[in-house]
Amino acid sequence: MKSRVQYNAALTAVVALIGLACIFPFFWMLRSSFMGNIDIYQYPPVLLPKVWKFENYPAALTIFPFGRYFLNTLTITLPSVFGVLLTSTMAAYALARLDFPFKKGMFALVIGSMLMPGTVTIIPIFKMWTTVHLGSGYIPLIVPAFLGGGAFNIFLCRQFLMTIPRDLDEAARIDGAGKVRTLVRILLPLIKPVLISIGLFTFIIYWNDVLGPLIYVNRNEMNTISQGLANFRAGYGTDYRAIMAASCMSVAPAVALYFIGQKYFIEGIVMSGLKA
Amino acid sequence: MKTLGRGKDSLAAYLFLLPAILGLVFYTFIPILGVIGISLTDWTGLKPPVFVGLGNFREIFTEDIFFPHSVTSTLYFAFFTVITGTVYSFAVATLLNQRIGGRGVLRSVFFLPYVVPVIGAAIVWAWMFESNFGVINYGLNLVGLNKVKWLGDELTATPALGIMSVWGFGNFIVIYLAGLQGIPRTYLEAVDIDGGNAWHKFRHVTLPLLSPVILFNVLMSIVVNLQVFVPALSITRGAPNSSTLYMVYFVFREGFQNNRFGYASALSLIFFAFIAVVTAVIYVTSRKWMFFEGE
Repeated sequence: MKSRVQYNAALTAVVALIGLACIFPFFWMLRSSFMGNIDIYQYPPVLLPKVWKFENYPAALTIFPFGRYFLNTLTITLPSVFGVLLTSTMAAYALARLDFPFKKGMFALVIGSMLMPGTVTIIPIFKMWTTVHLGSGYIPLIVPAFLGGGAFNIFLCRQFLMTIPRDLDEAARIDGAGKVRTLVRILLPLIKPVLISIGLFTFIIYWNDVLGPLIYVNRNEMNTISQGLANFRAGYGTDYRAIMAASCMSVAPAVALYFIGQKYFIEGIVMSGLKA
Repeated sequence: MKTLGRGKDSLAAYLFLLPAILGLVFYTFIPILGVIGISLTDWTGLKPPVFVGLGNFREIFTEDIFFPHSVTSTLYFAFFTVITGTVYSFAVATLLNQRIGGRGVLRSVFFLPYVVPVIGAAIVWAWMFESNFGVINYGLNLVGLNKVKWLGDELTATPALGIMSVWGFGNFIVIYLAGLQGIPRTYLEAVDIDGGNAWHKFRHVTLPLLSPVILFNVLMSIVVNLQVFVPALSITRGAPNSSTLYMVYFVFREGFQNNRFGYASALSLIFFAFIAVVTAVIYVTSRKWMFFEGE
């Protein structure tokens, strides 16, 4: 029995060690963000700053307007999350509950579009937006969220709607509820955990997007956080203390959101990886 | 009465599906036709495009010195990350599935890198991989190994970016852990009764039962990693010597930085065929190297 306990303790130690390695980059980013450039370039590297330079943050902020970028990113992300949730549940409802011609074909098309790598179509899509003179700004970044919200999300919602007994729809219909009301009042509350997961992942995907803003957002004051950070690094390549402070600020919102919604993130990943 | 009800249903159904249908039309069908059309022109966005037939494709296959680099580097990156990523995430998931303390906390730790902005992560990893002052080379020195040039060397630049990407594979750890937890205890006990050891359990219970999950996730990550972009954009910019000129970055560079939209469209079509072939090959051959139950 004792060897069993020792074995488990050893295993825990091994996993904890790998875990430490896993959070090390976060620690390194944070520790570097409070150092002067002389400390950062120390070799062998020092674990903690000798002098804590809290002024790195205000210094970084003068060239990296984090508040501005934060609001810009939010302006793209929030409507997108709404659009994805709205239009993917609409499509999923039709595919799970309604009877209509070419239903199987529609379902196959939606699922098939999942196989299309998004990067192949960026040029013609860009061409379409420039043709209608909307090639610069947030609209091309937000609109796709309102066009079905992604095949995978539709599929996920449909699978979960299918598990809800149709008796509930029938009862709602007898009580005089239409389709929209049945969906919004009866069905969606029952798949709430799925919707929260989809919402959180959509948020993270839009929040961290780099390619989209790079193509459609040209003016510096309209940059997103990731885009601003990429430009900042390109412009101040060796001023590591400022870059690390900017990186810390950029990573912080995603980390905070992760800890708030952790349960739903984990459930969402399990749903997408196992049940799909 | 019934036909009337169905008719109403159909109209409602198509209204509910309208956004998704518009998405299919404007974000899949028209762009596919568009990318084919643009690939046959010399469009630069500055002057009216001229039809050049298969000229772009001919140039890519016969004259472009960067194209072979972009194919090999993309394959190198995708296979490196998928193989190390699968081994890493499966191993950590297996460890987490033992009776260890603090499993919930550890699971959160491993998953965290998945949600952070890649650019932010890339910046600190680039600094850690720095060859003169970086902490990774310091670690190598500590255990008696020589410094590696990492991002400065053609052979090691992709593995360095790959390690950074695998670090972000926390989602696979969560998926495999959930899969492992779903294996009925009785199956594993049956191996005990038959006198089997841990290896037998792994080889004859765990692996066969999880094969479909592994295959699905390997395919997903191949498709995702063949489209690697941000590390090349934010850290190496294709260097050294085009060894990290991954295809999406190459398309982006030709299209949006050099304004050669016709040429970049031809590249992205070739790239599409490339992803399709690689994925199909893995899927078709998976029967041979996957362990399905009853084989």
